[in-house]
Amino acid sequence: MDIFLHALAESLSWQSVAATFFGAIVGLVFGAIPGLTYSMALAMVLPITFTMSNTPAIAMLLGTYIGGMTGGAVSAILIGVPGTPSAAATVLDGEKMARQGKASIAIGIATISGCIGGVLSLMVMLVSVDALARVAISFGPAEITALVVFGLSTICGLSGGSLVKGLIGGVIGLMLMNIGQDPIDAVPRFTFGFTTMLQGVDLLVAMIGLFAVPHVVSVLATYWRGKELHIQTGDVRTEMPSFRLLISQKWNFLRSAAIGTIVGAIPGTGGPIAAFLAYDQAKRWSKTPETFGKGEVAGVVAPEASNHAVTGGAMIPLIGLGIPGDPATAIILGGLLIHGIQPGPLLFMEKPDVISSIYILFVLAYAITTLIQLFGVRVFVKALSIPPHLMAIGILVMCVIGSFAIRNSLFDVGVMCIVGFIAYWLIKAQIPVTPILLGLVLGPTLERESRTALIMSEGDMSIFVTSGPALAFWVLAVVIVAGQFIASMRERKAARTALAKPNEPAAIQETTA
Amino acid sequence: MTTKRDFTERVGLSAAAALGLMLVPMEAARADFPEKQVEMVTLFGGPAQTISQVLADMMSKNLPKPVITVSRPGGGGAIGYTYTQAAAPDGYTIVFNSSSISTVYYQGNLPFDYKAFAPIAQIGVEVPVLAVRADSGWKDLKSMVDATKAANKKLRVGISGLGSFTHLASAALFNRVGLQVIYIPYGEGRAPAELLGGRIDAALQWSSQFAPHVKAGTINVLCMTSKAKVELAVETVTCDSAGAAGLDQTIWRGLAAPAGTPPEVIAKLEEATKKAVESPEFVKAAQNLGFNPLFKSAKEFGAAVAAEDKEIGELMTELGLNKKK
Repeated sequence: MDIFLHALAESLSWQSVAATFFGAIVGLVFGAIPGLTYSMALAMVLPITFTMSNTPAIAMLLGTYIGGMTGGAVSAILIGVPGTPSAAATVLDGEKMARQGKASIAIGIATISGCIGGVLSLMVMLVSVDALARVAISFGPAEITALVVFGLSTICGLSGGSLVKGLIGGVIGLMLMNIGQDPIDAVPRFTFGFTTMLQGVDLLVAMIGLFAVPHVVSVLATYWRGKELHIQTGDVRTEMPSFRLLISQKWNFLRSAAIGTIVGAIPGTGGPIAAFLAYDQAKRWSKTPETFGKGEVAGVVAPEASNHAVTGGAMIPLIGLGIPGDPATAIILGGLLIHGIQPGPLLFMEKPDVISSIYILFVLAYAITTLIQLFGVRVFVKALSIPPHLMAIGILVMCVIGSFAIRNSLFDVGVMCIVGFIAYWLIKAQIPVTPILLGLVLGPTLERESRTALIMSEGDMSIFVTSGPALAFWVLAVVIVAGQFIASMRERKAARTALAKPNEPAAIQETTA
Repeated sequence: MTTKRDFTERVGLSAAAALGLMLVPMEAARADFPEKQVEMVTLFGGPAQTISQVLADMMSKNLPKPVITVSRPGGGGAIGYTYTQAAAPDGYTIVFNSSSISTVYYQGNLPFDYKAFAPIAQIGVEVPVLAVRADSGWKDLKSMVDATKAANKKLRVGISGLGSFTHLASAALFNRVGLQVIYIPYGEGRAPAELLGGRIDAALQWSSQFAPHVKAGTINVLCMTSKAKVELAVETVTCDSAGAAGLDQTIWRGLAAPAGTPPEVIAKLEEATKKAVESPEFVKAAQNLGFNPLFKSAKEFGAAVAAEDKEIGELMTELGLNKKK
């Protein structure tokens, strides 16, 4: 108890609070701007922490990490462009809510969901860091391959109207990720002998192209045609989500946080997979799945609770074993090491005060980030009263800066433009962009993990089905795809019968909607 | 607010460079170098990036203008090397390089090799170690080799990537002791988890990655791949003395500028690097990060890089990875 009180006093000192605040602001700004990520924000604040004492240094790193995760939702909701890949699923319903004049509620619920998801994941970490770390390392390449395929099956839920078009999108995403250097043998693919092409298509660059460019093009095109845009701008009162609304989402919180914590704990996965899985599950368990994609609150709650739970989940192998699961936690590990803190099983015995501080600072970071966000909402929603065509130009400038800043590469700006141009026509052809993003996110992991597994088994395919968790994910994936297939067959049959009776126009409308 | 300003400056500087707007009068630049900030290109994330940030921080204290790190990852280092090689040879663009210049070149992913760069200074070495799970019962290299040979099976060894330095070092090690090995490439940092998870028999990685598990008694570190014993995060013997006679594999890290950079500019950077590497702050940070500072002057460093390049080329030919033959 003494240790805890001491850690508490140190963690709540003005230096730590100020450091968390600074980190949270930097994280929020980086998270909200597409192309600038929390990994970049962390790399940027890391040198500042070199000269700080331990507790404020950890405070600043955690503040940046958590702020960065939260910031991603703001741009996803307000302009329909996710600030980070983890917030891509938030676009689906968040943007629709904003168009219905409920932007402040959407941001509010996203922030609160994030905070709840994060704190729930911390509680899981508190209770079972040791056991969960063990579970996490039992996930090898074969198991992660199965998990990724399960993740890909969510394309079914994201395709909207046509499963085939959703699959086309997914395959386009998977194909784009083949450009560049092969992750296993370092063989150049589709580079045509150019060294710059070795960089390939960066996930973030493609994400900006996919979401921002078509948006900008259609807004400007409408403006030039002299038409008025029907984006809701009049009613941007700052309204907070009601307590009753939060209570109604309790199972969604728990389910999404559980998905996020588990996915986050497995090294080599991360936020986007967790967010998409949680969104898909929320839709599946919902009594009104047809409202998803049209501004459903649960569709904002699920991805945000889940991707924030990833922050706690990712801390599990980091703190418990000293193993970072993604680039962001690798930077945090560097920050801890430089202050002479070596995470791992012995940290709990040698420096229990540090462990207590980390837990307290984690909660502090969530509290501060949530406060900043909830106060900031009234400022953020002002963005909606900017005329859309001016906003579009601002977004375009941001896209160019963002895609350049990711790897300080002009090549990426070109990629962003090309992907954006193609995305515009794909949307015209009613091919949804979210499955493309899913393909982009999961493609590299799928390739790396499946090929690593095959190297391990010397080419024996049975490695993918010999372990329990892997088998479970395969079965889940098959069930979801089969379910979707049967459902769409039924729909088609219903549509055919409806067409046979032309005096029932209501049925036709429903199937085409 | 410093971060934000630094960042905009970074973006501004690199944008200017990339757009070919650098019209700096060369003669003036030489006289009182540096007149503007120096860009240190880093090629990888993880601990190497952290080290480069510490180094840049310390060098900034010894120069009138700051040194800033700019991450240009991709292509196993090829992107950053290409960028630096194409930059003006005026000392304002330098690269935090490593043995990767040789491995990437021999993999066939770079049209130029180490000769495209002028060495500034070596800042340190990294020595990988061979680790196994403690429950395997292997306490030294010999017991591992004997047990694997007796069982007549292939050893599964985790490395950072095919053709990476850890791959070459393990190949050199296992060729010497005559074991059949399957190399399993994980990204940076994943191999210890896979080792603990029981999916591989051994891993060749950096000692700091294993340190907490060695202390906890779950992992045994068998030996280090350098010939001379160095101080690492984990106490161990050299593989050379443990049965792999003649093994000497270390990775160097240093700084280089595009070939043709004026010698007086190189000398100034070398001096700043020396002060930084030998400062107590750098030594302490390096120790915490499991990095061994070892300063070598531009001349010694250049000779070491050339010698190492030859060796890596031969080793990669032996493994069938050399595409430049």
